[in-house]
Amino acid sequence: MLNETNSILSQAAAPLTRSIAEFLPKVLALIVILAFTLAIAWCARLLVRRFLQRVDFNTHMDRWGFSAVAEWSPSHSPAKLMGTMVFWFIAVIGFAIALSALDATLTSSLMVRLVYYLPNLVAAVIILGAGVIFARFAARGVLISAVNLQIQWARLLSLGVKWLVLVLAGAMALEHIGIGGQIVLLAFGILFGGIVLALALAVGLGSKEMVSRSLERQAGKHLHNEETAASRYHGL
Amino acid sequence: MQKLGETDVRMEGVQETLGQIGTADAVLGLPTNNNRATVGRTAEACLRASEGRLSGYRIAVVNADGGSRDGTSEYLRELLAEKLPLLQISYPLYPVNRLAVPLAGVPGRTAAAIEIFRCARQLDAKVCALLDVEVESIGPEWIDRLTRPVLDGTVDLTVPSYRRRKFDGLINSGILSPFARTLFGKRLRQPAGADLGFSADLMDRYLAQTASSAQMPPHMDPWSPVSAIVQGFRVGQTSLGPRVARPREAPLDVSGTLRLVLAGLFDQMEFSAAFWQKVRGWDDVPWFGPPLEIDDAPSDLDRNPMIDSFRQGCKDLMEIWSLVLPPQTLLDLRRIERQPDGSVRFADDLWARIIYDFALAYHLRSIGRDHLLQAITPLYLGWAASLIGETENASGVDVEERFERLSTQFDLQKKYLISRWRWPDRFSP
Repeated sequence: MLNETNSILSQAAAPLTRSIAEFLPKVLALIVILAFTLAIAWCARLLVRRFLQRVDFNTHMDRWGFSAVAEWSPSHSPAKLMGTMVFWFIAVIGFAIALSALDATLTSSLMVRLVYYLPNLVAAVIILGAGVIFARFAARGVLISAVNLQIQWARLLSLGVKWLVLVLAGAMALEHIGIGGQIVLLAFGILFGGIVLALALAVGLGSKEMVSRSLERQAGKHLHNEETAASRYHGL
Repeated sequence: MQKLGETDVRMEGVQETLGQIGTADAVLGLPTNNNRATVGRTAEACLRASEGRLSGYRIAVVNADGGSRDGTSEYLRELLAEKLPLLQISYPLYPVNRLAVPLAGVPGRTAAAIEIFRCARQLDAKVCALLDVEVESIGPEWIDRLTRPVLDGTVDLTVPSYRRRKFDGLINSGILSPFARTLFGKRLRQPAGADLGFSADLMDRYLAQTASSAQMPPHMDPWSPVSAIVQGFRVGQTSLGPRVARPREAPLDVSGTLRLVLAGLFDQMEFSAAFWQKVRGWDDVPWFGPPLEIDDAPSDLDRNPMIDSFRQGCKDLMEIWSLVLPPQTLLDLRRIERQPDGSVRFADDLWARIIYDFALAYHLRSIGRDHLLQAITPLYLGWAASLIGETENASGVDVEERFERLSTQFDLQKKYLISRWRWPDRFSP
């Protein structure tokens, strides 16, 4: 009786044990590949940063007028940004390799599809992330410049620019992951066109007098004052 | 054979011309880039100086050109050929230099200065005066006053002090001069002059720096006296009279000027942090030439647009300022904003702290540096309106005393700067 029970249990547990025995090395391989890739990525980031700093990459970027790239992410110099990009590039490739180490028969079809889908997803996330950062950067730049030009609707302008960039980035990201297809494209076209039209109307009609006053002051008295003040600086 | 004074922008010709000139006691450096309209006055001043006040010295002119297309080089050669030893060279002008509007002088003026120094040292010059060819009021006495203190061995760098009206050069008086005094320990009236005199030792130092790195680091800008001060060179200032420059086709606005001035200043501050944190007190810098004169003429500056700009900044930029300034400063700004136009007043300590906070935010990259430097414009205009309103009817001497009091506040607030610089997390807004 006991023997029979043991036998049944052994027979029942055998496939599971076998599955686990087959699966665990793959998980281990996944962990090893991930750790190895992250180590390589970390080393590559360090090497890239040091190399770029040695060849004065930041100065060259400045010299060729690309310093604005670093401004998007102010706590990072161009060399650091390049290092971080290399790190994530290698890390993402490593992640894909690590996933492929798992036996495809044990992963669900959804997982397999997700793996195939991953590059698109990563690209979409990158596009969206870059879009958000750039939107923030552009909105801030427009706001400060508009205030310095004493444009009264500086905030509105800044908000408009921010949403233009966000909508553009969102539409690009959605199109990349294949959600919505033509609908997203159409919706984006309508929304983008709408924002542009709204801004044009605000400038052309709604704020006609305000704009004309602002431009008048800008082109005339105020500009004169600014130039005078600036040229007096040169006069020292 | 190439005549003395004839140009040759090719490198092989430069050595030949240098050999023909031999040696010179003083080199007059003229950086040019499409300056045909104004270079004549500078050339005339050079000629008159060599014939008059500096007649006992061997003078050579070195013209570094950035690729003028208006015939500047040819015109200069026409003016000086056979009259003065002239060497014409070219300096590298990168795309970013071409696009950027310089504060004063020619685009890429640092590279021009270095090329001139190289030639000056090959000529074994004891002094090199760099002259801004855009200036129309230059005379031979300018060249004498810039070169004489260096030729006498009194100083290594002569900085100009131009005659001005009481509210001219507020960026200089309200930011640069107090900074130079408090941080670098030298009381310079106008640290951002565009006509300077350099000693051989100082030129050698700059040339050594370019030999060790591909590009001059920001804190080694030969056009700024701070570089020389930090390296322990002796600095003097000389009175040069009014500086009348030809108006530019596309002049810099206040925001652009502030951006350039502050970027240079904050870069130097960042690179010389170990130096300025040790500086205690300040020294008077030797003065050469006649005493400084300040024109008492009333100001025609309109304060209202400045106050409008400040108010709009308070309305729209408070969020950005809050990333840079501590809450107490923001409260003070709110309080000032609520004052009627005629009563808008910035306390000196508040202004000093604002500048220090922006310097720190630049160092920490709290927000994009370009944005940061532009975001200060409404504050600067508010401060300028406050100062003009306060001293509108004061004499030039009284205004100078007012700037002296402002500098004292910069001195007193230095502890605040050092604390925030050393422990930014503890003091972050």
